Order: sequence, then structure tokens, then C-alpha cells
Amino acid sequence: MEITQINWDSTLLVVAFGISMVFLILVLLVFIIKIFGLFFAPIVLVKKPKKKSRADNIPLQAVEEYEESHLTASCSAAIAMALHLYYDEDVHDIEKAIVTIKKVEKRYSPWSSKIYGLTNLVK
Amino acid sequence: MNTKKHILFLIGVLVIFMGTAYASQLKTANTYSTENEVLLEQTSTSTATTENTFVENFIEFISSTGFAQADWKTFVMIFISCILLYLAIQKNFEPLLLLPIAFGMLLTNIPLAGLFNAELFAGGHINWGNFVQKGGLLDYLYLGVKLGIYPCLIFVGVGAMTDFGPLIANPKSLLLGAAAQLGIFITFLGASGLGFTPSEAASIGIIGGADGPTSIFLTSKLAPHLLGPIAIAAYSYMALVPVIQPPIMRLLTTKKERAIRMKQLRTVSKKEKILFPIIVTVIVSFLLPSAATLIGCLMLGNLMRECGVVERLSKTVQNEMMNIVTIFLGITVGATATSESFLQSQTLSIMLMGIIAFSFGTAGGIILAKIMNLFVKEKVNPLIGSAGVSAVPMAARVSQVVGQETDPGNFLLMHAMGPNVAGVIGSAVAAGILLNMMT
Repeated sequence: MEITQINWDSTLLVVAFGISMVFLILVLLVFIIKIFGLFFAPIVLVKKPKKKSRADNIPLQAVEEYEESHLTASCSAAIAMALHLYYDEDVHDIEKAIVTIKKVEKRYSPWSSKIYGLTNLVK
Repeated sequence: MNTKKHILFLIGVLVIFMGTAYASQLKTANTYSTENEVLLEQTSTSTATTENTFVENFIEFISSTGFAQADWKTFVMIFISCILLYLAIQKNFEPLLLLPIAFGMLLTNIPLAGLFNAELFAGGHINWGNFVQKGGLLDYLYLGVKLGIYPCLIFVGVGAMTDFGPLIANPKSLLLGAAAQLGIFITFLGASGLGFTPSEAASIGIIGGADGPTSIFLTSKLAPHLLGPIAIAAYSYMALVPVIQPPIMRLLTTKKERAIRMKQLRTVSKKEKILFPIIVTVIVSFLLPSAATLIGCLMLGNLMRECGVVERLSKTVQNEMMNIVTIFLGITVGATATSESFLQSQTLSIMLMGIIAFSFGTAGGIILAKIMNLFVKEKVNPLIGSAGVSAVPMAARVSQVVGQETDPGNFLLMHAMGPNVAGVIGSAVAAGILLNMMT
């Protein structure tokens, strides 16, 4: 088939419609997930440190305040690493406690020969 | 010593080939023998008859071996399957799928073995009438591909192994997943220009989704005769994601953009994770019923994982079922790569279009991330856009590695997982759209 024989109108229509539909469906999902996130996203509340007035050292507010907080990446990484090490019991190396002495074959070499040792010359 | 062994081996192979060729010639000569020759044979002595019978039997035996029936195409295909086996075993290129695919390819190209008979699936239909008489082992297993069973079962397993948490925490990732599907449609355009039919072009384009099961599912529906080359291209390029993507990522981003640090993702509640697969299935299936099979299976697996009440089922689909189906899928997809269907000029075109699809998909995600940065307050590192081309989790890892080249303290992996899993949804949606428009 030659390029001129291809029905470019319908081909371009498929491309345009296809890309548009993919974006349309996924954009719709973005909005829906965002809406659900508003209702179901967990809110992590951390107790605010109490502020004390400098003058009389008395708390400014009697009621405890909370603030929304998320762990930083470094904190998450440290906690994950600690849990991994704890559950995998990789904290310490476990040694076999079996000692084996391997027999090593000593090949003859004039470099290690006792005959040619320097101590033989001292008499 | 080794040289001697090699020489002996070569001599052995040559002797087998020469014997085979001689046997074939004799067989041909026998076919054209005249009646006079037959008469002469009848008048020969009993001893000679016995010798002739032995020689004939031997020739008959040699002629019935695969060597006598093989042509150069057979050996080329066996050589290609050996290369794929080498890539899977030695280079670790997607070995879980490439190894069964390559072995299926090897089996199907063995002459006279009759493991796979392409004529039973000729014309895009299953010829049930001849199935019982002619059907080989791989024909029966191939029914799972032909009927679209294996890709869907794989999708259940993929869903059970996927954590959509990063996507739920940052829904904008879905846009990057959508942009990365650009490669599918650009390739569709390119393949149409090369003279492929719309159905074939759509099957080639889906390689850009970088999603093996989706590619196989769509191709088995639209262009089953191209299943072998397309599956091999899809899985080969998926394995080559760490090679293909980084140059494009560096080319399209500045050092400053690559160093952008993104805000830590928020925590996602269990309720959100349970509701997500249900909502996505309902919305996508209502809008695009043709994508319901793939999306439904993906989300079923994910619901099994997240609900926490079917732990046994979740583990089964993630491990045993996934492994069994992977073996069947790989071996049967490889079996479709017969010399008649594979050694065509169009296979090279498919391979070429496949890499174009991957490149445009990668570029699409990065460019959209850059465009998003013009409008949003919290900047997005454009490197995570490239992860929109499915290939979970390889593409996300590539984003992480390229990001750390610029800033070793920048951890992009979890941010990249959002577009990465969005790419799985995006490619399934794109497959549904193409299926809807081509059938």
C-alpha cells in the first residue's frame, strides 16, 4: 500500500479521538480521587508544644492544640530501615561457630626453601 | 584440547548435514524413478534386495528426521531463539518472559514436531473442526492467548502486586500516565504510514504502552498474525528501558529541573485504597466498556491485595497463578514466531516502530511534567514523567537513578511510582479505545 492510498483523515481522527479519550478518562479520575481524598485522607494530628510566656511561665492557652503533620522523607526512611532490620533480624551477623582448618598444599619453591635460607650461612 | 573438541564438533555437524542432504537427494531421485528401474529391482538377487531394503529403511529414517525437512529459515529462527535465550539467561533481559518465549520459538520451528499449527488459527478464527486431529500441545495452550484468557489473568496478578498508594496520594500523576500514551498514537500514525492496516497499526502502536499483557491482549484480538514479533518487541524494549530512556530524559530536561525535590507524599488511608479499585472499575468500564476486561482484572487483583480479608487468594494470584500463566503465555507467544510469520520485512518495521513508540511515550510524559510546572505551585520533577510508560517498576527506577545523578540526595522513586502505575491504567484505557474503534 502506498502512502497516498492511506485514508489519512480517518487515521488522524483515530489519533485525535484516542488521545482525547485517554486524557478525558484520566482527568475525570483525577477529580474523583481528589474528592474522595477530601473525605477519606487520614489526618495525622500531633500535639503542639505548649508555649509559655516569658514573664510568669504560665501556659498561654489552657486547651491543648494539635497540628496536622506528616513525616519527612528522612524520618520515613529511617523508620523503614529500622523496621526492616528488626524484622529481618539482620541487626547482628550470625556466625556459624564452626571452625575448620583447611589443608593447604605447600608447593616447593626455592624462595621458601630452607636449604637456601640466609640462616644457613650463619655458623 | 578445546580446539580439538571444536573441530570434532564441526566435523560431526558437517557429516550430519551432508548425510541429510544426500538422503533428501536420494528420496527425490526415488520419486522420479521409472518403471524400468522398478522392473530391474524386481529381478535383482535376494541378497541385493536385503541390502537395498536396509539402505532404503535408513534413507527413509534419515528423510523422516527434522534435518531433512529443515531449510535455511528454520536454522535462522533457531539461531534467533538462541540469541533470545542468551539475552534472557546471560544478560538478564526480562528472563521470566523472554526465556519461555525464546524456547517456544525454538519448539515451534522444529520441523515435523507438529507442536504448533498456525493453520488451526488461520483467518483470525479457531478451526475447531480440525483441532482434535491436528492440535499439538502448543495449540491447546495457545487457546488461552487466542481467547484473551492469559493476559487478563496476568493483569489480576499485576493488580495484586501493585500499590496504588503513590497515585492516590498524588492524583496528578494520572496526567503523566496519560501523556506517556502519546507514543501509542504517534506509532499508530507511523505504522499506518508504513502501509500497515489500521488493526495492525493499532497492535504495533500499543507496544508504546510498555505493557506486555496489554500488547498481547490487543494484538490477539486485532492482528493475531503479528503476535510473535509484537510480543518480542514489547518485552525486549521493556528490558531495554534503562538504556532507551536516560538519553531522552537528559535531552529534554535541564540540570536545574532534574534537581527539583518534590514534597513528601501524604499518607493514604486503607479506605481510600479499598475504594480506589472499585471506583476506577466503575468509572472506566461505564465510559469505555471495551476496556472493562483489562481494568476489571487489574482492579480485582488490587482489591484482593488491599481489602486484607482474602490474604490466601492475594498470595496465590501474586505467585502461583502468575507464574503458571507466565509460563503458558511465554511459550505460546513464542510459538507464534514461526519462520513464515517472523522472517518478513514487516518484523523489522515492527521493531523500528516499537523503539519509536517507547521514545515518544517517554518524551510525552516528560514534556507534560514540564508544562505542569508552568501552572502548579509545587514543582514536579520532569524525570518522573518518563515513568508514565508502564514497565512497572523498571521505569520508576530509571527516574530515581537519573535523578540521583544530578542530586544524590533526591529520592524520586515513590513519586515516580505514581505515574508508573497510572501508565498501567492509561495503556489499558488506550487499548480499550483502539479495540473499540477497530472492531
